[in-house]
Amino acid sequence: MKLQATIRGVAYSFGSVKEVLAKANPPKSGDDLAGVSAREPVERVAARAVLAQLTLAELRANPVVPYEADELTRLVEDSLDESAYNAVKHLSVGQFREWILDAGTTAARLRSVGPGLTPEMAAAVCKLMSNMDLMVAGAKCEVLVRCNNTLGLPGTLSSRLQPNHPTDDVEGILYSAREGLVYGCGDAVLGVNPATDTPESTAEILRALGDLRTRNQIPTQQCVLSHVTVQMKALALDCPMDLMFQSVAGTQAANAAFGIDVRLMDEAWDLMRRRRSSLGPNFMYFETGQGNALSSDAHHGADQVTLEARAYGFSRRYKPFLVNTVVGFIGPEYLEDGPQITRAGLEDHFMGKLMGLPMGCDACFTYHARMSQDELEGLKVLLGAAGCTYLMSLPVGDDIMLTYPSTSFHDVPTVRGLVRKSPAPEFDAWLASRGISSGFTPGARFGDVTVLR
Amino acid sequence: MSAPLSRTRDLVAALRRQLGEDDPQPPRAPLPPVPLPPERVFPSPRRRSRMAEAAAAHTTALVGIGHVGTRYATDVVLQFQAELAVAHGAVAAELPDGWAEARGYVPVRSRVAHHREFLLRPDLGRRLDEPSAARWSAECRKDVDVQPILADGLSAVATMGAGPELLDAFTRECERKGWSVGTPVCAKFARVWLQDEIGELARARVAVILLGERPGLGTGDGLSAYLVYGPKRGNTDGNRNMMSNIHARGTPPVDAARRLAVLVHLMLEQGTSGVSLDLAPRAAELGEAARGGYRAPQARSRLVEV
Repeated sequence: MKLQATIRGVAYSFGSVKEVLAKANPPKSGDDLAGVSAREPVERVAARAVLAQLTLAELRANPVVPYEADELTRLVEDSLDESAYNAVKHLSVGQFREWILDAGTTAARLRSVGPGLTPEMAAAVCKLMSNMDLMVAGAKCEVLVRCNNTLGLPGTLSSRLQPNHPTDDVEGILYSAREGLVYGCGDAVLGVNPATDTPESTAEILRALGDLRTRNQIPTQQCVLSHVTVQMKALALDCPMDLMFQSVAGTQAANAAFGIDVRLMDEAWDLMRRRRSSLGPNFMYFETGQGNALSSDAHHGADQVTLEARAYGFSRRYKPFLVNTVVGFIGPEYLEDGPQITRAGLEDHFMGKLMGLPMGCDACFTYHARMSQDELEGLKVLLGAAGCTYLMSLPVGDDIMLTYPSTSFHDVPTVRGLVRKSPAPEFDAWLASRGISSGFTPGARFGDVTVLR
Repeated sequence: MSAPLSRTRDLVAALRRQLGEDDPQPPRAPLPPVPLPPERVFPSPRRRSRMAEAAAAHTTALVGIGHVGTRYATDVVLQFQAELAVAHGAVAAELPDGWAEARGYVPVRSRVAHHREFLLRPDLGRRLDEPSAARWSAECRKDVDVQPILADGLSAVATMGAGPELLDAFTRECERKGWSVGTPVCAKFARVWLQDEIGELARARVAVILLGERPGLGTGDGLSAYLVYGPKRGNTDGNRNMMSNIHARGTPPVDAARRLAVLVHLMLEQGTSGVSLDLAPRAAELGEAARGGYRAPQARSRLVEV
């Protein structure tokens, strides 16, 4: 295994695969903060040249966190699909990139090798891709999931309706939810981040959303994004829980900071398998985001793109209905500005899709990051064109509880119109029956809340 | 009476006419005027849709704002941009030199050199620079029960706004309970964990940092407070208790000061803070100090008036 490349007569050598992976990353403030990024642009390209020569087998043999030290590494290694792995293990990362982009490589073929890829492989090929490469490759991947409706069909773009409220006022939540529905939003989930993390409050919000859905016969699902242990207790309170949510990260130590491990998530999954209110077979919902391992000092000297891919390695065990990267929420110390946030959104979407996950993206920033509203609108259109499974949606994109700007009720039908994509088919039929919209075309009752009961 | 658009254009047109090269096509029939669109406004108490009026009793979310095609009305765009500008302005503001001294606070700063570094290097914002550590060590009152710290955090606008009022009210609450209170100090480019080093140098039992919180749309005036028992470097978030949304429309500073004092009381009694602090013994006081129960949502004020 040669970890050296020469550019214009200067030899660049690297001490480990982990170092090569980190230095091959495009600039990210979080990698600078961790002290793992390339020192200058030429070294970055040298690292990519080295990476392009490594085989997928060599990446499998060199996880960024050792097998003995981390249950996520063990989970990925022990459950890897060997026959899928054997089909690609001989390829170098450079060849793997070309195979993915090749016109002859179909969505079905990509789907068949996904279970044989470790997160390090997905991260590695991501680092050799430009933004447009990531979009082309992401758009090729088809990941289909089912719960009360069907997400991820070609030609569709779904959205989470996010009617958060700073005091969990149920009437306030319902005002936002109704408004979003009549703009065609909410086919991925009606999902509330609660201000109060208690089983009672979780159950109360779920009942209110469930009633709204039943009263209007809306083919979607509801979820309250409290901690998984809180949701497990809420299940005992007799409430309609269609999806179970949890934030996840890419190392055992980072997951410990979130208060979870494989055993707890197995238990939660099994409880939902028996007690959920939805059809399934997919019923879990995970959120991730670059930088979340470093923020709890649990990054093991690895870069944030590779760690993000490892969070997907954890997620795929539970065959989730939704996964999304909350890309700009973490703050400028991890993703400094518009270009970094845009790049990260496209990276996460591609890596997740390649690993077989239904990837959505919360295209967002915080007010102390250097990103403009125009740049954020651009990212939404890029994600729509890249085949992103779903975007978020809020009144004017403003989260009045978490105080950050995201995607708006108006943005979702706008992006659908621009990239000519429709909501999930069951939801699309419901919207058409109410005169709200059909496909990506607004109808006579678009934006009219009086169509709802 | 308006000035000609362009003298050059008039001269060229006159020349064309003289040369007989005016447009040979017959003049087009006049276009019908574009009808005025219906009035769509950002909801305010004076002008809003019925839906927006009903919603305002329950939420500050901007609902009932209508649409043009799939986009926003012009008035909504302007209000939104104004709110965004206010938030960005709050983030970009810095505590001016001399502000702390003028109010009688010992001025200290973290190891951060400039504002961009402050945003990118939380590790540097958690440590005092050497001159500050030396000055603070020399000037601060030692072995105190409570060390209050005012700091900029992510909104110097909030710190310069309600910061002094909150610091004074909290100090009065502590003195009323008979606790010794440390020398008032104000930290620039400060992250929450800076309270550990400042409190440790003063050998304080409890350190309380009051700092500007991450601005939201249209707001940049919120303060947060973080409390830690036994301040020392190496403490983590699990060792801290916090309170957010301290501003006139959220929890007013005087109410917040009372609630913070109850938390300090619990810490002094139990000798701990953070996840291991049991709030139950003073739950009633905390509830009363927080004025629990239903609160109507804060009004979302209209920023642009023309």
